[in-house]
Amino acid sequence: MKLTKILLAMLLLALLVLPAILPPAMVNAAIQMLIAALFACAFNLLCGQGGMLSFGHAAYFGVGSFATLHAMSALNGQGLLPTPLLPLIGAMGGFICGLCAGWFATKRAGVYFSMITLALAELLHSLAPHLNTLFGGEAGISSMRAPAWGLDFGDATQVYYLTLGWVVLSIALLYAFTLTPMGRLTFALRENGHRLQFLGYNVHRLRVLVFALSAMFAGIAGGLQALNLESANYVLFDMRFSAEVVLNTYIGGVNVFLGPVLGAALMTFFGNAASDLTQSWLLYQGLLFVLVMMFMPSGLAGLVLCWSAQIRRRGWLAMVPAAFSALLSAGLLSLAVVFLIETLQRVFSQDYQALLMADQAWPAISLFGREWLPGALLTWATPLLLGVAGLLVLKLARRQWLRLLDDEPQVSAAALRPRLEGEQP
Amino acid sequence: MEFLTVSLLNGVIYGLLLFMVSAGLTLIFGMMGVLNFAHASFYMVGAYLAYTLQKFVGFTTAVLLSTVLVGLLGVIVERFFLRRVHKHGHAHELLLTFGLTFIIAELIKLFYGNFSVEYRVPEFLNFAAFQVFSTDYPFYRLLMGGVSLLVFGLIYLLLTRTRVGIVVRAAIHRPQMAEALGHNVPLVFMAVFGIGAALAGLAGALAGAFYTTNPNMALELGVIVFVVVVVGGLGSMAGAMIASLLIGLISSFAVGVDLSLASLLGLVGAGDWAQQMGGLMTLKVSSVAATIPFALMLLILLIRPSGLMGEKG
Amino acid sequence: MHTKTTLRLLTLGTTLFAGIACADPLKVALVETLSGPSAATGQMFRAATRFQIERLNAEGGWNGEPIQLLEFDSQGTPAGASEKLKAAIGSGAQMIVQGASSVAAGQITEDVRKYNLRNKGKEVVFLNVGGEALELTGSKCHFYHFRFNGNAPIRVKTLVAAMKEAGTLGSNVYSMNQNYSWGLDMEKSITENATAGGYQLVGKSLHDTQKVQDFSPYIARIQASGAQTVLTGNWGNDLLLLMKASRAAGLKLRFGTAFLDQPGNLANAGDVALGHYVSHPFNIEAAGEQGEKFASEYQAKTGHLPAYIEPQTVFALQLVGNVLKKLPAEDGRLNTRSFALALEKASDRNPLGDVRMRAEDHQLLMPFVVSVVSKEARYKVDGTDMGFVPIKSFSADEAAAPVQDACRMQRPE
Repeated sequence: MKLTKILLAMLLLALLVLPAILPPAMVNAAIQMLIAALFACAFNLLCGQGGMLSFGHAAYFGVGSFATLHAMSALNGQGLLPTPLLPLIGAMGGFICGLCAGWFATKRAGVYFSMITLALAELLHSLAPHLNTLFGGEAGISSMRAPAWGLDFGDATQVYYLTLGWVVLSIALLYAFTLTPMGRLTFALRENGHRLQFLGYNVHRLRVLVFALSAMFAGIAGGLQALNLESANYVLFDMRFSAEVVLNTYIGGVNVFLGPVLGAALMTFFGNAASDLTQSWLLYQGLLFVLVMMFMPSGLAGLVLCWSAQIRRRGWLAMVPAAFSALLSAGLLSLAVVFLIETLQRVFSQDYQALLMADQAWPAISLFGREWLPGALLTWATPLLLGVAGLLVLKLARRQWLRLLDDEPQVSAAALRPRLEGEQP
Repeated sequence: MEFLTVSLLNGVIYGLLLFMVSAGLTLIFGMMGVLNFAHASFYMVGAYLAYTLQKFVGFTTAVLLSTVLVGLLGVIVERFFLRRVHKHGHAHELLLTFGLTFIIAELIKLFYGNFSVEYRVPEFLNFAAFQVFSTDYPFYRLLMGGVSLLVFGLIYLLLTRTRVGIVVRAAIHRPQMAEALGHNVPLVFMAVFGIGAALAGLAGALAGAFYTTNPNMALELGVIVFVVVVVGGLGSMAGAMIASLLIGLISSFAVGVDLSLASLLGLVGAGDWAQQMGGLMTLKVSSVAATIPFALMLLILLIRPSGLMGEKG
Repeated sequence: MHTKTTLRLLTLGTTLFAGIACADPLKVALVETLSGPSAATGQMFRAATRFQIERLNAEGGWNGEPIQLLEFDSQGTPAGASEKLKAAIGSGAQMIVQGASSVAAGQITEDVRKYNLRNKGKEVVFLNVGGEALELTGSKCHFYHFRFNGNAPIRVKTLVAAMKEAGTLGSNVYSMNQNYSWGLDMEKSITENATAGGYQLVGKSLHDTQKVQDFSPYIARIQASGAQTVLTGNWGNDLLLLMKASRAAGLKLRFGTAFLDQPGNLANAGDVALGHYVSHPFNIEAAGEQGEKFASEYQAKTGHLPAYIEPQTVFALQLVGNVLKKLPAEDGRLNTRSFALALEKASDRNPLGDVRMRAEDHQLLMPFVVSVVSKEARYKVDGTDMGFVPIKSFSADEAAAPVQDACRMQRPE
């Protein structure tokens, strides 16, 4: 526990000094990561804690965004709501929308619930471009951040601190919620709603409330996005964003509170970085999803917890061989896959195919600073060898890990003796 | 009258096409509880495989071969991917299929490029069957509808009149019991998944020639198929048929309806006010024709969540 | 991939060590849809941009240094475009090039305007090489945005004039368009051109964009209306499926389109496409010797003939290059205000004819060509036996559409 608190404090400190050490491009990426993290955390309230998998959560994010933008244009930073307090409107929008939608959606459970949320989001997505006054057609609405409290919010750094403040506050509130009686009831909803009903609680009302709260915090995230981008577009209601938050949450790990935060931050960063490096980054993203779902079902946070439990038991030094082989195999396999995919992508690309001429050797492609001929054996042997090496190291890593798990410290005979009443253990 | 007839025909055929794709999905869902997001991707793979094979073996063989290949793909997906994730819960299976959708779409873009490919109806099938009020009605459409009906008939007979069918239906309703009685339920799952995928592949191979074959096919069809499955009832073939036809007809007819809420209100004298309000009021049914299935899905989910023909609970 | 990585590392390094370098090379950023469903078009914009920037660098670059092209993937969403725009500006880009999506263009133009308001003296210029939404030179016009492509009124005006002259317009025209701003722009223009074209608009439809699979109900409506010609701004699947459905129904309709020349359309449509019209900014056959020279140069570099939106991008950057050549550096950097002032009065000659920038709304006045799909074309498209035969060329002035009232440009001073 203490270690977690120290780590969190360090993270907070790092986030506070971020704009001073990183270039402005990274600060913008950090803002996106923070917003995604809050969205995922809000979603997890409904999904991981409440046990209701919603497929249309982007709707509340979008509603929060639009509500905030309308407020931005209408209030212009004066009056009751200066710019830093605008996400409150997003919260309100999300809450109200969540109440209405949740009331309908929570009438059903399981897959039907998911489908209702999907239908609602898709309906909103289809209707939004036609409702010009509310959603600005397909060009969307745009506005400008008005100065407030002595700051002009023209600079990315100021927006970053505003976002950071709101995100930290919201996540803290969400965590505090899990400690309240109602938060515990949310867990009970996930475990056994029937039983809760028999205990006398109005389960439907509870579900609606949890839904609305989750939508509220999603609305705050939407409001922050509106402040950051100064515009909103009906594209926000697209199923892609709803699916994204579900994926981020599950990759991070639904059973740990900070799991979705981790997942969202990493995946946003990955998307940001990879999309500029390669054309097939969506393929890598898909592969990542599938691999995580298959081999890390409790997500990254689950993985971290697993390892930290082992570290606690066996100490840091004992973990080094397994960690090293795991990282090495991951590196080798990634390299092999990336090499293969990039090669194939270049060979099959339209530009390359146009250069081909019958009866002539296929021209070379440049990758990682070298020229590779598609006809040469080396071009295909390299990823193959890397892949095989990666698999072998993976086997080794697995064996080491299993050995760590099996290698129980000897239980003393004294501890095995049945205890008599009153005796100290 | 003309509009009615043509829309009726088109709606029915489009509905039958939807049925071919959603039949597999509803079986898979009914049996395994897995909402397979990748199902529409099987549709796309079927079209692309048929396009590739057509250059070597001719149209009919290409279609049949691609059906089989997509079925095999489905079997592989079930055996090596889904089965692993089954024990972690429905959400994980769902997300796995979602990731697979991405992978399949991107692989297709990698090998075939981003634009649509030249997959067309072969000449020997490209003629008019008959004339409907002076417009030609293409034979190929009838072929698609006919194949769909044939498939429905075969599967219905298979499920209700054969031993295998009984085992499959038992596995859908009570998988543990069926397994306890000694049937190889995992094999049944695999087979049903494979056949469902094969059906989607067949639909893709046929429809891809008539409509367009491009990497966004899966996205275009994907959500509508879910609507069909939900409206029809998760697990019911008859429900899927009725829902497909319903949605096909609605999509067809809605296109010709230029009414809006404002025109309806005009009947009671509030037309001008509604016109001034704008927004939802002046939205014409024809311009949101593709949105109506979602409204239908919402309605069904709220009123009768098990769908039109599904079982309660 | 390697070049891009080096460029990004270079720019990162350059940003970190900004102050030490004296002469900054000019950085142009391409913020484009390079992945996702509309990636195909975005990649074409990239190919054309790379081609012309390389040509400009072969002619000496700017201020003695090669122009650096930074590429950013906006992933096709306005949020992605906004994000990457910020990254581009953060990397030191002074010009932004974008074309694949009108929605992204709308987002970028607004973001650029706001950035310029907040950062006087460090303005960036938005070179819009593909966004055809009217509002970009209308209600959203501003001093640092320049449009180098057509828009709905131009497309319709030229189509109607050419088809009328060819005698294939007929007297009954149907307007079929997508239900969003582009389609609405097209529908409005088609209605307004009725008297000039001498036709009667017998019906109009708006349908959901990229969602309709089965166009036969719409074909039934067209037939019921008695139209002989359909004017449409549809693109991608919507256009293809519309044409295929009309052929399947056996209707002898004539289509006048704006985007029939998108790669893949002719291959997919096959003979269905024969005899239909498209209004586009370039056709190699219509551009004479210069056009052929340009086409062969382009093919040598990229492996395919310039098509669809590639020529307009190349000519746009060519015009920009001409303006840059006459502009000296100030303190080692480009003064974007002087650049914009010079660009808005610039004129040039592309293989089709004269072009000049209109200062009132920063819309480029450019020649347009209307072509028909035929097997007689000299340049075959998509590996089929068909191509686009030009039937009428319009000079920049003939094709131009008037300045919109909604454009109230605030000029710097």
